[in-house]
Amino acid sequence: MLRDSVIETAVEAENVSFNYERLKAVDGLSLQVPKGISFGLLGPNGAGKTTLIRLLVGLLRPRNGKVRLLGQAPSRKTAHLIGYMPQLHSLCAELSVTQNVEFFARVYGLTDKIRRTGRAEEVIRLIDMWSRRNDSVQKLSGGMKQRVSLACAIVHNPPLLFLDEPTVGLDPELRVTFWEYFSKLTRQGTTLIISSHTMDDASHCDSLAFMRDGRIIAGGSPDSLQQAVGRPGATLEDAFLHFVRSGEKGKDA
Amino acid sequence: MPSLAFTVASRVIRQLTRDRRTLALIFIVPLVVMTLIGLSFPETTVLDYIAPALLTTLALFFGFLLTGISFLRERSQGTLERLMASPVSRLDIVVGYLFGFFIFALVQTLIILLFTIYILKVNYHGDLWQIFIFQVIVIVGAVNLGIFISTFARNEFQMVQFIPLIILPQVFLSGVLWPVEQMPDYLQWISKVLPLTYAVRGLRDIMLSGQNLIDVWVELAVLVGFAVIISVLAAITLRRNA
Repeated sequence: MLRDSVIETAVEAENVSFNYERLKAVDGLSLQVPKGISFGLLGPNGAGKTTLIRLLVGLLRPRNGKVRLLGQAPSRKTAHLIGYMPQLHSLCAELSVTQNVEFFARVYGLTDKIRRTGRAEEVIRLIDMWSRRNDSVQKLSGGMKQRVSLACAIVHNPPLLFLDEPTVGLDPELRVTFWEYFSKLTRQGTTLIISSHTMDDASHCDSLAFMRDGRIIAGGSPDSLQQAVGRPGATLEDAFLHFVRSGEKGKDA
Repeated sequence: MPSLAFTVASRVIRQLTRDRRTLALIFIVPLVVMTLIGLSFPETTVLDYIAPALLTTLALFFGFLLTGISFLRERSQGTLERLMASPVSRLDIVVGYLFGFFIFALVQTLIILLFTIYILKVNYHGDLWQIFIFQVIVIVGAVNLGIFISTFARNEFQMVQFIPLIILPQVFLSGVLWPVEQMPDYLQWISKVLPLTYAVRGLRDIMLSGQNLIDVWVELAVLVGFAVIISVLAAITLRRNA
């Protein structure tokens, strides 16, 4: 029974802390993300979202606490289970769209050339970049680079996907397309961890954690967080401010 | 070479070859530098003596600069961070980048060597292939040094500042400009820990005295040891600075 519950958890962080010299970026944070949902990390710039994602994917080692991905500590063994889309586009600017996607496909173990080419074509079509597949990335607009970056993160069909501010710089139409695709992925069983500071992104998530000063100040579904404000018609922005203020009052008391 | 290191290396090579301006500079800059050197030394006897030190210093300089700046770009573009989150091991990453950059540093070194021998008509003893192999070892160290040092730079400006810090002291203290034996004792001790000292001495022994690679095994061993230690340090510092 215990084992089943562990397996149903995609991401687990237990009392995790991380400092950049004197700055506490993540401060004794704990969270559990069930499999197959979209989980939003929401907070202002500097709240610790990117550091937390870097801790979860294994790029940083926590000073304290533990991280587990699908029941295992982050390592090279778990690396093929995750897709990671960093905040920067993180693409090879001189290479074409196809060369970038195929490179990451190869890195994530798609060694068979026919399979790799086929999968690359599939994801490039999915992000609607097939007509620009031979263009070098440096010639693309910011939104297009964002799409290519997503393609590189999903090319190996990972069960766990970490997306750091994936919709920044996207126009509203493309933002809707991204969220349609994210919903499709969760329906297929993929777990998505998405950081954002926009309430529009937050409203699409199945579950949310409000972050501030390296800590989670509240968590739950978007509806439950809005209801916690205790005022009809409260938005997620209101909910965030509500938890920030109640936290400050708690400190003062 | 491990398969993922090969994947990283072939990507680095493809990336640099698609950047035509960089590619053109890689070929043209050594030619320009060597032409200027040729014009500055009309006396062939002086050039004959200084050529080995010059060849190995330029190999170190170009290898270090090319790799340092290119690797820094990998970090500032975020491609290194993405690779670090993937199943590629740190060793694969270092070996992959090392091999990728090595090819271009090798091309530059080959241009400089052939220009020195066939255009500047420098007189030398020893076999050309042995001179080339010796230079290959120097480049491996230079490329590793570029990768390692670039992990301490946050931008191109900082990387360029490492040149006077890492390369220039070696030029002054490794016997390039004047014999190490004529320097004060404490500087002679410093020169003993500088890889360029062994590179200059080894290549001079081959080109001026006609010795072979076995005769200069001590210098070769030091240079190989330096390359190995620096590549291990580069792999260790990779995560912290990705």
